[in-house]
Amino acid sequence: MQKLFARRKKYKTLDDRALVELAAADKEAFGELYERYLTKMYNYVYYRTGNTHDAEDLTAKVFQRAMSHIGTYVDRGLPFQAWLYRIAHNLVANWHRDQGRRKIIALDDFVAHSLQSEAPDRWTEEQEEQKHLMEAVRRLPEDRQQLLLLKFIEQLSNAEIGEIMGRTEGAVKSLYHRTLLALREDLQRQDDIGAARRLSGKEG
Amino acid sequence: MDSHADAKAQDLVDNITGALQQGNSPDPIVDLSDGAHDEYVDLVSLIQGLRDTLVPVEPSAEFAAHLKTQLLISEAGLVARLRKMPARLHVAAILALFAGFSLLLSRRLFGASTAQDISEEPVATAL
Repeated sequence: MQKLFARRKKYKTLDDRALVELAAADKEAFGELYERYLTKMYNYVYYRTGNTHDAEDLTAKVFQRAMSHIGTYVDRGLPFQAWLYRIAHNLVANWHRDQGRRKIIALDDFVAHSLQSEAPDRWTEEQEEQKHLMEAVRRLPEDRQQLLLLKFIEQLSNAEIGEIMGRTEGAVKSLYHRTLLALREDLQRQDDIGAARRLSGKEG
Repeated sequence: MDSHADAKAQDLVDNITGALQQGNSPDPIVDLSDGAHDEYVDLVSLIQGLRDTLVPVEPSAEFAAHLKTQLLISEAGLVARLRKMPARLHVAAILALFAGFSLLLSRRLFGASTAQDISEEPVATAL
């Protein structure tokens, strides 16, 4: 037992590359990689699926797939997390295909907790705005959603995002700019549609 | 928009995002946007909205622990552990297995003949 604890302690000091080499034959090494990346994978899948149940199911699949393929992992100089994100991305894409539709995230689950201390009416208003924004994010193409999640949730730099998405730093910066413009346009369009509906409702 | 203006706009948006993520005011950066001040004010509020909406979530501790157990103590994990055991343990396991089979076999053979002997004994009848 002491040996196991000593080994676990040693694994905490190792970098990803060394752990990946060990993980093919040693489950404890894989366990350390799991600890490092569980929350990241969960966040990514959660925001892409919009519910806890599917997020847990797909996160489990990400790590099961990673564990069964770690023996064939080839280090191409990219960070290990890029490989995990790719697995997650493929699983989420399959999930969306199977669903045949895009569910709207139940924003109640993840509205920023900091807002809850504010006045209730202000909080409700903020919640509504966040809901609209999240719906707009989910209407974006997959690569743009991925970029926003990596930038805002993982707070990765453009270079790190580029490594994960297989793009140059400049291409990420450009995609981010275009994503914001598209998002703004979509939100304006939705506002216009909402205003037109309200107007026609009043007239009717 | 030409490529130079495009690159400048991308840099501005990137810098505004960086400032907001670090909790700094984006105003000094927006002020550098020359004539397009209003457009960037609009984008600042959108970036703020994204920052406040896309917040990290944590998987439940129960799920995290359950999945880890599932991954590390899978069937494949047990096989791998057995393989990594020292050779003397392998020999001991084989010997124990052999001894177990021998015991079962001997019980069946000798146990059956004993039962047969007993059944063949004449039954004493009460007069």
